[in-house]
Amino acid sequence: MDEATSVTAPPERTDRSDRAARMADLLDAAKGGSEEALGQITAELSPMLWHVARAAGLGADDAEDVVQTAWERLLSHLADIRVPQALIGWLVVTTKHEAWRIRSSGRRQRPADQEWLTALPDHAAGTEEQIILDEQQRALWRAVGRLSAQCQELLRIVAFVPRPDYQSVSAALGMPVGSVGPTRGRCLQKIRVLLADELDGRRA
Amino acid sequence: MKSHDDAPDQQLDDLDFEILDGIRALFERVDPMPAGLPGRVRFALAMRGLESEVARLVTEEDPRLVGARGTERSRTVTFDSASLSIVIRIEENKNGSVRIDGWLAPPQPREIEMQTSDETLSVSSDDQGRFAFAEVPQGTARLVVVGTAARDQGAGGPSVVTPALVL
Repeated sequence: MDEATSVTAPPERTDRSDRAARMADLLDAAKGGSEEALGQITAELSPMLWHVARAAGLGADDAEDVVQTAWERLLSHLADIRVPQALIGWLVVTTKHEAWRIRSSGRRQRPADQEWLTALPDHAAGTEEQIILDEQQRALWRAVGRLSAQCQELLRIVAFVPRPDYQSVSAALGMPVGSVGPTRGRCLQKIRVLLADELDGRRA
Repeated sequence: MKSHDDAPDQQLDDLDFEILDGIRALFERVDPMPAGLPGRVRFALAMRGLESEVARLVTEEDPRLVGARGTERSRTVTFDSASLSIVIRIEENKNGSVRIDGWLAPPQPREIEMQTSDETLSVSSDDQGRFAFAEVPQGTARLVVVGTAARDQGAGGPSVVTPALVL
């Protein structure tokens, strides 16, 4: 029968377009008033927004507030999101703006320092609190730490954006449409160099 | 002819993707989203109510005040929705921004947002339904009376959204 075409796990590529189609359906349903659909969208995209808010330098409580605010704003803008591809870009930009607003309101005195950067202990073995990473991951982590604050923020955001949405998000973040953008290109270029350096350094 | 716009990820190669995936995996471990956040978001959204009413513009008056030519201008705009009437008076400030005084009928305390292209300003109305935005940048904006869950005692209700206003 159609066993071969029915329930086999789809390859990753199909997975992605399935995901896009599913998001489009969920968005339509949410516009039509389905709280269930909206709930599924928030479950899927909240992690991305959390990282956008944290990358902007917010503390955990503020980051939660900002994510929640972004979703609340979406409610009154749902009708404006005409194509599903616009949804992720809209959410990322709204979260980033809201994070900036909170930062610049001086409500929190924490400066732009990236508190999470210090969250990782420097040595792999240690107390149970510490996060065990392999050598490759450690090198990547150190390379990230050597990036400018701007590149750290950008790469952290982009890393959480679903790949098919890179373009709309890069456009929404004010980077040129139709290319990865000079800033992102530069940041990726930099981390490649830093990563190679870290890996070399360990071997030496 | 294929332009750059057709191939947005042209410059990203496998190593780029590998690095981005690696960064994602690292941050997921080092600074994960609090597990309860999506649930809290969902709760907040349910409280707010997904359905919003669209308010209709009812009247718009533009009485240029005589005697203060060119320095003081105001207009009054009225909106109606199924659950609320909103009257706002828009006055030009000296610095070019506008001041907005508004009233809700029936009178009730609600959270009120002014959404401009750049930002969202937020105030609350008092028991008499009065609210004010002291300075709103000129441009296009719309007003949202934020929905409330409790519809007891006739107060509260779904979000009410006005059409865009040119301030």
